[in-house]
Amino acid sequence: MAVRGVSFYVRAGETFGLVGESGSGKTTTDMAILRLIRPPARVEGGEIILGDTDLQRCSEEELRSLRWNRISLIPQGAMNSLNPVMRVKDQIGDAILTHEGRLPGKVLRERIIDLLHTVGLSPDVYNLYPHELSGGMKQRVCIAMAIALRPQLIIADEPTSALDVVVQRLVAETLKDVQKRLNAGLILIGHDMGLQAQMADRIGVMYKGQFVEVGPVRAIFKNPVHPYTRLLISSIPSIKQKHQPPPAAAWEEIQQAGPQDEPGMQEVEPEHFVALSESIALGSAG
Amino acid sequence: MASSTVVSVVPTQSVRWRFRAFFRDWKLVTGVAILLGLLLFGLVGPLVVSEEGTRLGAGEYSAPPSARHPLGTDSTGRDVLAMMVYGTRPTLRVGFLAGGIGILVGVILGLISGYYRGPVDTIIRSAADITLTIPALAVLVVLASFLRTTTVELMAVIVALFAWPWPTRTIRAQTLTLRESGFVSMSRLSGRNDLEILFLEILPNLLPFIMASFVSAVSGAILASVGLQLLGLGPILTPTLGLILQYAFEYAAIVRGMWWWWGPPTVFLMLLFIGLFLISMAMDEIANPRLKGAAE
Repeated sequence: MAVRGVSFYVRAGETFGLVGESGSGKTTTDMAILRLIRPPARVEGGEIILGDTDLQRCSEEELRSLRWNRISLIPQGAMNSLNPVMRVKDQIGDAILTHEGRLPGKVLRERIIDLLHTVGLSPDVYNLYPHELSGGMKQRVCIAMAIALRPQLIIADEPTSALDVVVQRLVAETLKDVQKRLNAGLILIGHDMGLQAQMADRIGVMYKGQFVEVGPVRAIFKNPVHPYTRLLISSIPSIKQKHQPPPAAAWEEIQQAGPQDEPGMQEVEPEHFVALSESIALGSAG
Repeated sequence: MASSTVVSVVPTQSVRWRFRAFFRDWKLVTGVAILLGLLLFGLVGPLVVSEEGTRLGAGEYSAPPSARHPLGTDSTGRDVLAMMVYGTRPTLRVGFLAGGIGILVGVILGLISGYYRGPVDTIIRSAADITLTIPALAVLVVLASFLRTTTVELMAVIVALFAWPWPTRTIRAQTLTLRESGFVSMSRLSGRNDLEILFLEILPNLLPFIMASFVSAVSGAILASVGLQLLGLGPILTPTLGLILQYAFEYAAIVRGMWWWWGPPTVFLMLLFIGLFLISMAMDEIANPRLKGAAE
């Protein structure tokens, strides 16, 4: 099973950081939310509730109109998500037209330029081809596409992984700004704990397909309970001391702690849940 | 409110840039020049040379080039220059018609086959492969003699029967690759249906390949049609270059040393093939940048 017993919520206007190493099940989770799981994989149970709709029970037709309208995706690696032979205006325009039918040319144009402005791109970008844009600009075009229809929920899959630090900050700020404007929920997937610390309101740590710890970002950083969470946080480089690789004992502790057959989370603090087993004593929370 | 900076941009593509890029490729320039020259010959020629020359007995029989008949006459007194001038357009028409049909069929089948996969793909692919292994000329000969190709259009259709498999395979291969790309997934995500994705997203990316295939298809079609005509199986009522050659061989022009009769059409066709070949080589390089000598 790639993902098991995953349960979380995101409130409007809130950023939920989905953290974990490669293969922990983050992308599978968000693919499942978008109902994009393809055979041979399948979803075996559970509910995906957006507003008042259970996505799990929707037909493909309903999903197609829901996607982008109410829930959208900013993919990893924007370079590959833009059609190389179409101009930016056509790509954004098509996304809008597909859902809203025909629009007068001027209205559409103004809307696109407005979107570009929202993500901090000049109107010149309107006529350009993707290969004429830098990586950061391409990623921002993808953000513009994702917010074109004012969705309630935005899933950002490692939106800054392929970018340098300076542009990372720009893109992260853009994302934050956009979220505020739309009052949308944002699921931010990644493994950059530093970025998560800055952007997320709540964090869910995944390991081997299950949540090991979920809670408000401050609580998690100040008070990590699960050994895996502690390892992740300690991996953030510090200027003050040279980084030491974690002792082998730490890994053993993690292996013993999970994954569980019956994943259950216990609340160690208000809103702060940890998947505990007998081997982790509550008292070890420091 | 918005703390991010606005990025200003200067576009790099311009008409002048594209113009210069065209002239940088000698193959393309030469090929297009040849093609345009031959096309001009066929378009302007009829305005200069009178059609009288294509009638039987227009001049002396089997006369070598002279002032009145710059390319001489054939054994029935027809002016060779006149026949060439009036024969260019039908010849090209066959090629472009057959090539065009072949490409149209090839693109549609290739897109469907590569995108949907499954049983449809298997059927189309097998059909294309089988058609490729059949000796085209042999079947064409049988078909043409059976159907008595009376018009240029009919011959074009017959030739097109063997022009479609190669474009189908090329387009199918490209479609297979493109359907996995990020922007196709994004399109599906943002709600486009399959047909929209096929024709509005994938097809525009295939234009270089389609152009390259088209030029090759035209070239092959002209070759096949001339071949048929040399065997006497082409339309005889419409003057074409192949028809000139057909009569030239029938009336033993080579043996009789009437170089002005069989020479010019042959040279014309040679130039035509060289021009088309150069263009298709240039198109291939555009479609597949790895073929370019040095990285630009």
